[in-house]
Amino acid sequence: MIVVVGLSHKTAPVEVREKLAFSAEVLPQVLARLSARPELTEALFLSTCNRVEIFAAAHKDDGTDAAATAVRDVLAETGGATGDVHLTQYLYERSGSDAVRHIFRVAASLDSMVLGEPQILGQVKRAFDAATEAGTLGSVLGRCMTRAFGVAKRVRTETQLGAGTVSISSVAVDLATRIFSDLSGHTVLLLGAGEMAEQAAKSLGKGARHIRVCNRSFERAATLAASIGGDAVQWDALADELTRADVVVASTSSRAFVVTYDLVRRAMKERKGRTLLFVDIAVPRNVEPSVHEIDNVYVYNVDDLEQQVALGLKARQAEAEAAENIVGAELAEFESWRRGLLVAPAIVALRNRTREVLAAELERALSTRLKHLAEPDRVALRALMESSAAKLLHVPTTRLREGASSPDGADWVRAVTHVFDLPDSSNGAHASSAVASPGGPASAPAAVAATEEPVPAASAT
Amino acid sequence: MTPVLVEILLAATVCAYAAACGLFLAYLGNDRFARAGALAPRLLLVGTVLHAIHITSSSIILHICPVEGLHFALSVASMTACVVYLALRRRYRIDVVGAFVAPLALTFLLASNLVALSKPDAHYRRAILPIHVAVNLLGDALFMLAFAAAVAYLLQERRLKTKSLGGFFRKLPPLDALDRAEHRFLLAGFPLLTAGILTGVYWAHDVEAGGAASIARAAFGYATWLLFAAVLLLRAGAGWRGRKAAYGTIAGFGCAVLVLILYLLRGAGPAPAVAFL
Repeated sequence: MIVVVGLSHKTAPVEVREKLAFSAEVLPQVLARLSARPELTEALFLSTCNRVEIFAAAHKDDGTDAAATAVRDVLAETGGATGDVHLTQYLYERSGSDAVRHIFRVAASLDSMVLGEPQILGQVKRAFDAATEAGTLGSVLGRCMTRAFGVAKRVRTETQLGAGTVSISSVAVDLATRIFSDLSGHTVLLLGAGEMAEQAAKSLGKGARHIRVCNRSFERAATLAASIGGDAVQWDALADELTRADVVVASTSSRAFVVTYDLVRRAMKERKGRTLLFVDIAVPRNVEPSVHEIDNVYVYNVDDLEQQVALGLKARQAEAEAAENIVGAELAEFESWRRGLLVAPAIVALRNRTREVLAAELERALSTRLKHLAEPDRVALRALMESSAAKLLHVPTTRLREGASSPDGADWVRAVTHVFDLPDSSNGAHASSAVASPGGPASAPAAVAATEEPVPAASAT
Repeated sequence: MTPVLVEILLAATVCAYAAACGLFLAYLGNDRFARAGALAPRLLLVGTVLHAIHITSSSIILHICPVEGLHFALSVASMTACVVYLALRRRYRIDVVGAFVAPLALTFLLASNLVALSKPDAHYRRAILPIHVAVNLLGDALFMLAFAAAVAYLLQERRLKTKSLGGFFRKLPPLDALDRAEHRFLLAGFPLLTAGILTGVYWAHDVEAGGAASIARAAFGYATWLLFAAVLLLRAGAGWRGRKAAYGTIAGFGCAVLVLILYLLRGAGPAPAVAFL
């Protein structure tokens, strides 16, 4: 059973999210903590500026509560910077079909602040790659994630959800044009040289007179500046740059405020009151909120942009509904596959039991009544029995697979297990983890492994 | 041309201005009236043309120079404001400012009809009088536009500060366009106001004789000049832009309106010729 625990822009304001924001460096540590939990068999950690979520596979079907608690514990341990913020009130939990639907919706950008924005898919893929590298993905969550990429692709190609989408960058441009009638006479300063800065540069830079890139690492600033036709500036020159820039897009990974009230206050004196717009798309925020109180200075963070985004939602509502239908269809298919997965150990056990019984009978006959047979005849007889068993079991196993993919599939599995007195394999269905859990089932039963498909790489989608 | 026709022209002008006001408000208030935003300036243009015909025809019939009495001065000032707005709205990207100009023009036009229609007495009739009134009314027209831009600026600024980005926020011009327009209208109006003050000095000795009302009028006239001068100087020297400049402009225009109100309160007395002194 898949479990999702996390918080997003829908449940937690940026003040909370920024305290839980994780850098890429801590990802392996978080994954290691997750893999050390016996309640979890698989795990993936997704941290973006708008959401912090853990997707996990529970150890047993009835173990979702324990899995969710384990995930909450890891979040609490890892998010040590949350201070006096009580995470519980902001966290949400999904399990089973709801969790899978949630993952599909996240990947398809249906749960994004900017509906249909393309960045989230890349972020989910990076989280998937990190989990694959850390060995915390197995067949269930791995399959779910690859299906999620498929859903995202279908939504992109079969709906217009992404067409004309307002990204955070385009919202920033729109906001800037509410203040500056023509950006061609103005200077844009990018604080930070990451992907978000690059996205902003593509949107804002088209119309701006100058683009300047200021980053702690001058080399990265220079690389980005060269790619967008701007100028790189030293980090130490930030105060001077604030006197020149008209729009500042802040997206550094700093955990402390980079732009403070005093810094802007001094800059505004130099600017003689010229209007200054800060678009703070970083989480944690880069610009001190009180800067917004200064005359002719406007600070907009990621949450503030949500209202602007909401205006565009109405027009894309029909597309969103079509996208939700795709999610629903894919969810049904995944659930069918997952239920089918439950029956695999029973089928393998049934085949083994049949083979064992027939083999035992044959060997007894070969050692008594048929002991006169030569070795080639014995081999032929064994092959004949093997093929007979396969033919005999073909129809029952096919029917069993079909029955198991229905909503009452678990009953089918129980019935077969009971009728043929097969060993209980319900734990094994989810024990396909690659998580190196000392307390958990570190290796998947061969029966399950034999029936499962390998997890394709994210890039394959 | 008969006085009846003049009245009809006045009524038609009032109707056109009122309709323009309605269209502007409908455009700002509801997204369903997107076309109203394009129609409103056209209707304002129609009103302005009717207004010009009304002023010309009535001054011919009544044998009164439009720039010699307060009645026509108010009327011409509002018409001039409309002309300047219509000429510059595209250049300054201030189409929506018409939503403030149209009601002001309508108010000034109606107020002008409250002022007695009479020729200034011989004491005031000097060659300098038409110049004095003309510069003042043109200055008033430009200050009216600066005031409209300042009000729109404050609304837009308030929206941005409170981060209420919906509604008619999207229809208001960008902040810098409003700030620039307000500054340029002030810059253009201030020399005219200064000329009005200087030419008004000719009648300065009448102020004391006119009693408290005349003194208050003169005081508000000087206050207007001082406020606008302060706004322009502080903007150039101390970076007074945006909100502070907008408040200064509104205060200055408020003083100018007070001067006009003081004239209006004089009722049927001798028609004053000077706008600020």
